[in-house]
Amino acid sequence: MPVAEIRSLTVRYGTLTALDALTVDIPEGCVGVLGPNGAGKTTLIKTLLGFLDADAGGGTALGLDIALQGREIRQRVGLMPEQDCHIPGMSAVQYVAYAGELAGMPSEQAMRRAHEVLEYCGLGEARYRNVETYSTGMKQRIKLAQALVHGPRLLLLDEPTNGLDPAGREEMLELIRSISHGKNVNVVVSSHLLPDVERICDHAVVLVRGTLRAEGPIRELKKIEGQPVDVELKEASGAFVNAALSGGAQLLSSKGFSYRFQAPGTPDEVLRSLFQAAQATGAQIRGFAVAERSLEDAFLEAIHG
Amino acid sequence: MASAPIADLSYRDYDGPLAPPTYRWWVIAKTTFRNSIRRKGLWWLLLFSGMYYFVMLAILFFVDQFAANARDGEQMFNAFIGRITWKTEFLHGWSTAQMWFLLITLLIGAGAIANDNRANALLVYLSKPCDKRDYLMGKWVGLFLTLLLLMSIPIALFFAYAGLSYSEYGFFSQDRTVILRLLVMMPLGAAFYASLMIGVSSLFNQGRMAGAAMAAVYFLTAFFTKLMEGAWTVMQVDEGARRDLSPIKNLVANLYYASIDGLQIGMAKGVLGTDGSPPFGIQPRRGEGMQFVPAPDLATVLAIMAAISALALWVAWKRIRAVEVVK
Repeated sequence: MPVAEIRSLTVRYGTLTALDALTVDIPEGCVGVLGPNGAGKTTLIKTLLGFLDADAGGGTALGLDIALQGREIRQRVGLMPEQDCHIPGMSAVQYVAYAGELAGMPSEQAMRRAHEVLEYCGLGEARYRNVETYSTGMKQRIKLAQALVHGPRLLLLDEPTNGLDPAGREEMLELIRSISHGKNVNVVVSSHLLPDVERICDHAVVLVRGTLRAEGPIRELKKIEGQPVDVELKEASGAFVNAALSGGAQLLSSKGFSYRFQAPGTPDEVLRSLFQAAQATGAQIRGFAVAERSLEDAFLEAIHG
Repeated sequence: MASAPIADLSYRDYDGPLAPPTYRWWVIAKTTFRNSIRRKGLWWLLLFSGMYYFVMLAILFFVDQFAANARDGEQMFNAFIGRITWKTEFLHGWSTAQMWFLLITLLIGAGAIANDNRANALLVYLSKPCDKRDYLMGKWVGLFLTLLLLMSIPIALFFAYAGLSYSEYGFFSQDRTVILRLLVMMPLGAAFYASLMIGVSSLFNQGRMAGAAMAAVYFLTAFFTKLMEGAWTVMQVDEGARRDLSPIKNLVANLYYASIDGLQIGMAKGVLGTDGSPPFGIQPRRGEGMQFVPAPDLATVLAIMAAISALALWVAWKRIRAVEVVK
């Protein structure tokens, strides 16, 4: 069951159309919302939370109507905004507990849970410090902690690695990956950093100028049409290539000892015919994989049509 | 030795209770109140705001002690107590505390919304099941309750002492409704300050700037009030010696209340039902028979206060936005 269903959603800021008749299902798991700046990623998140009124269309989040049940949605959803944000004058534990109380938790439970999530987010040692004294990385973590405190079913992360150094980015991505897998929390990550999304998400939605350009499991998006295969040999072999070509395969590219072939049939059938070619020519196959492109290539293809 | 922590630091799902997503303003109000009363400087300001009452209590105590030991002490004491109009003492206490109430308001309220603007805290509030109505109401109620508590402490102490000690000297019989009047006066004063502060605070991104703006408005208008008070006194002394000053006096009497300070005093006069009298009923020799600036029309004062409060809250309402929309 999708965690959010968007149907013909149009959102405008004056004359600027941020989302243009968008229809998309956000499935369970970890989903990356991709798009260049101004694609409508943040607008989609804000509309899901009920911050913006739709000009047309609508949708649901966690089965609740985004136009009518904003409060109920926000109680079940955690938002980690892109900008730095905190409640001034509070220590981390007070802040996160307060966020829990705002979500409806009893104060004792909120305080207990605040300690738990701060430990989980790696801020256990710094939990009694005023949030204003935190570094950028710590501020990102506390934004995550306040979004998690009430045990949301859906976590919306807007550019979660913004402003982080490489080590901090690694830690944040690891944390998000950990939350989004096997913890009963669905995560939507809005980002324009494709490597981040590729690392933590199972599914991607590509938006361009408020419209849907591509969506699906990242594995599928990265697939190349015709399902070519990459073969790595122990050493270069012209005989093997000739044998493969005579078996009906087409050589797409070669680099060192690696060859990319495309052949009719399923990857298993292609594998079988290539093994036969290798056996016949005495070539030794070291590696075999269905060829795929990078998410960046898939993304570029999606945005350029 | 194992390096793993003793505690289980893995993520656990929260399956405890969640209150329905309504009345979130009360959570904000409670936190605003709790954070406000934790400020250490606040209790010093409270002490200063109750100075009139504390001095009054000290004088009453010493007069009491002196009368008990002096010859004709009973007669002297009765004469002293007999001059006191109790409700005007509350008016004096209220009037002299106004500047301290302002400082208390600045301390606890200047950053109420301004600091949230700076820290983008609205995003945190509004990403929870709160809307801007909850936010504004929570902030206002939190500030109002704190101010009400702080305004009521000196008054309650004085009321309790005087009520217990001087009930047979007319404390209650002079005006049996005085407690009700006080119970109306304090919330009105607290509500006015809370509304003004919330409105001003919402205009800025830094608490200190909001505080400076509010203080500037207060002191500029208070200066005007003091000018009017001076003019009133001069006209009192010169009345009769010169031409008829009644129209000017009326104008000055009205302008006297054209300030935050003046509105609070005017409201207190109207609610307590007194124009004022000298402290302890002792007339200064030079100004014997001098009139205090008469109480303004209570309905008018309340209407002005309500209009200013509504304007301030409207400004805050307009300034609080869930998202920045670039058109």
